[in-house]
Amino acid sequence: MSTPAGGTYNFKVVLLGEGCVGKTSLLLRYIEDKFNEKHLSTLQATFLNKKLNFDGKRINLAIWDTAGQEKFHALGPIYYRNSNGAILVYDITDEDSFVKVKNWVKELKKMLGSDICLMIAGNKIDLEHERTVPLEEAENYAKMVGAKHVYSSAKLNQGVEDLFLELTREMMEKYDDNSQKDVNRTSRVLVVDDEATTPSSCCSGFRSN
Amino acid sequence: MPSLRMEQSELKCKNGCDYFGNPQWQGYCSKCHREQLQRQRRAANKPSPSSSSASATLPKPERKSEDRLKLTSRSSFSKFEEKRLRQSETLKKANLLKFSMFKKGGSTDDHDHSDKKPEFKIPSAVNEAMKREFNQRFPALAGASRDVRVCVHALALDVLKCARAATADELSERVQGHYQRFLKHMDVSPHFAAADADTKEALIDFVEKHAMTYLHDLPSVVFSPSGTDDERLDARMCERIQSLGWVGAKHLDCKISNDQRARAPLYRAIAELLSMDSASSPGGKLACVRRCCAHVMRLCGAPASADDLLPALIFTVLKANPPRLISNINFVTRFCNAQRLMTGEGGYYFTNLCCAVSFIENLTAESLDMDKEEFDCYMTMPASIGGSSWAAALSLCAELKDAEEQSELVQSLKQQVATIEARATELANSTDVFQKEIEKKVADVLAKTPLEIKPRRELPRFGKFQNIKSSPLIDLDTPPTQEPPERDVPDTVETKEDSAADQSQHTIVPTEITFGEPAKTNILGLETPELQSPHNTEDNWVVKQTNSMELLNSSPLGFTSFDTRSIDELLTPDEFGDNLPPGLSNINYDIDLSDFSADNSAADDLPKPEKDPFSPEGINKDVFDPFVVPKVRDPFSPILESFDQFSLVDSKSNRQSDPFEIVPRPSDPFSPEGLQPEQGFGDAFSPMPVASASTPAQRPLASILDDSDSPTTACLLPTPLLPQQDKPT
Repeated sequence: MSTPAGGTYNFKVVLLGEGCVGKTSLLLRYIEDKFNEKHLSTLQATFLNKKLNFDGKRINLAIWDTAGQEKFHALGPIYYRNSNGAILVYDITDEDSFVKVKNWVKELKKMLGSDICLMIAGNKIDLEHERTVPLEEAENYAKMVGAKHVYSSAKLNQGVEDLFLELTREMMEKYDDNSQKDVNRTSRVLVVDDEATTPSSCCSGFRSN
Repeated sequence: MPSLRMEQSELKCKNGCDYFGNPQWQGYCSKCHREQLQRQRRAANKPSPSSSSASATLPKPERKSEDRLKLTSRSSFSKFEEKRLRQSETLKKANLLKFSMFKKGGSTDDHDHSDKKPEFKIPSAVNEAMKREFNQRFPALAGASRDVRVCVHALALDVLKCARAATADELSERVQGHYQRFLKHMDVSPHFAAADADTKEALIDFVEKHAMTYLHDLPSVVFSPSGTDDERLDARMCERIQSLGWVGAKHLDCKISNDQRARAPLYRAIAELLSMDSASSPGGKLACVRRCCAHVMRLCGAPASADDLLPALIFTVLKANPPRLISNINFVTRFCNAQRLMTGEGGYYFTNLCCAVSFIENLTAESLDMDKEEFDCYMTMPASIGGSSWAAALSLCAELKDAEEQSELVQSLKQQVATIEARATELANSTDVFQKEIEKKVADVLAKTPLEIKPRRELPRFGKFQNIKSSPLIDLDTPPTQEPPERDVPDTVETKEDSAADQSQHTIVPTEITFGEPAKTNILGLETPELQSPHNTEDNWVVKQTNSMELLNSSPLGFTSFDTRSIDELLTPDEFGDNLPPGLSNINYDIDLSDFSADNSAADDLPKPEKDPFSPEGINKDVFDPFVVPKVRDPFSPILESFDQFSLVDSKSNRQSDPFEIVPRPSDPFSPEGLQPEQGFGDAFSPMPVASASTPAQRPLASILDDSDSPTTACLLPTPLLPQQDKPT
């Protein structure tokens, strides 16, 4: 949830994508801003809390890595519920991973609607010569679903910082847009509620899964 | 082909709204479920609107039975199990009722904390503990202590009040509402102005911890609350995990090596997971999960990604089979501060645990990459086989691990002991070496400086006239002319031997060297045979000037002594050549000369001290004139008179000769004045050719001393030679 407590925005971002597309590497590379190689071995690379200053606002990014194996796909909703942003990673040398991204996008759109900011990242651009996912197709698809598309290389440290910054900017915009809507919605919920319960978004229904 | 993924339609709300439903809400989404519930409640309330709380519980059993039917159809519970559960449920409700009744009656003292009428209050012990911890953790926010406690009280009371009437989810919403209200209160209240965002988070954790710790221990209030089938789900989950006991690491594709050593974190992770049940606050449970996951990540090797974490965590959960797993998870989901559960690290790991549990619930052959037949075969296998074998293996492994740890510990201890021993021997050796070194050094030093000569040098010596200048032979206030009398001493000495020695001293001038020997022979041959030994060990004899009681003994030697030390030194081999026998004559002679000259320089001043009552003034005056000296009969008498007695002291044996008196005598009338001392010596020493041969080196010295310019020469010449003459004759 992104309630600004004490002026700090709390955003939850999930990394989704097939296994071996480089989700973890992206996360590691992003952490590397602060830590050098030596520390990497002691780092856990599955969860990252990153504090940012963006446009003079304090932002707390909670980045969640997810298990990408196909057999864990069904667990996706548990991971991405209440997320503010999702980074969908695919491997530009792997057509299947791009198909997977499309599946994720569909699912997210259905489950979370437009509440979530989507970011599609074509990873491994250091292997440009092995590219199998056409650049135009990827970008067109991203435009179609209203997501941003970014090329990145965790290996060469290209586009990683941009990826997260771009997503942060978008999430902030969305948050500011939604704050008005949220007010409307909560009031609506309150009307039906004759007890003084606090409003909860519908997604909270998954809590007791 | 069966798919793990559920169809969208299955997930949707039964009501047909586009939100997702939940089996716990009878397939409705949360909104529709609540509406449905309210409708039911309103219907139930209509007959007796006043007793809302009592009637609210009525619809529940019906719902429960529906659920139960559904569950029984699916699960493999026996009828007996079913009955037992139902009994426990009714028991719990009865307990709760009794509990609140009792509390209602027992609330004696009032508390000013809540706007609602308190049915009972939190025990004061809990309250005090809370106060203490708050002051400890947030010393800067002392003013907020009351606010925080009020919030905890309100939360706990609210929960207790509604526990019977509300469903678990309503309860959860109430609790979350309290958290939200407290957050807002912190933003507004001046008490919390000093708190930054982190402190506020810690504060809300504090509220959560204390309220929930208190409520957790009450039966069926927040932990597996009445009205939920948490307990049933726990049992089902437990059974499910048991039946999946055969699932190994390879089925889950997790990178867990079979090496026992590498598996060490697995046991720790399992321990943490098991300890989750004993933690009583949502935060505590989250912390357990976090620690568990940290161990799991170490198990996977670093850096572990979520791709590795989840399978390993599933494996851990399967092997740990934690008690009341579903109840614990639901407790955290319902009553943990939602904010933290969404974004915190603990929340992330907890989500992973939820995923693992969900995966285990929905586990199929496909999710393990195996044939359906094989999977079914495994699943139909009695749970006890797979489970118990694994349990046995696990306990064996644990034992093995323990044994390994113990043996490692023993090894390390052994090593420590060995190193300590080595160091001890090393230390002993070095002390030995050190001791030897020191001994050797001491020996060296002793060898280099066998005798302490230094102090002697400061004192006057018979053998060295240079020293005599600085310090007079006899430390008395006597005029410079004192020396000559010493020469006289021998005359007065009773023992002939001594006198001989003295004479030799005086007469040294020409041939001092030869003197020692003849003296000896004289001694040997003459009156004092007992004294031979001191003479043989010539070093031993020290003439000591004493004016003390020592002198009471009469000296057998009758030697006239001036300074014990000087004699002693004279006799040391250092002073002379090896073959040069130390001669007393040498010493005497040197001293006399130098001392004399030195005193002369101070001649003018000296008369004053001579006003010694013991000194004969007239004599002194006579003596004092250097030119008159020769005529002076006996200038030494004053000095000698200043001493009562003299004695000889053997420096080595510390033997002391009997003290003796020196009696001044007028110049011997018998002494042949014309006789040259040299001649006398020559006579005396002639029998000793050896001695004379060794002397040449000293001769120049003697001749220098003999210098006629010196005032002493004049004194020397008239020295009484009589005894000397006597002896040779």
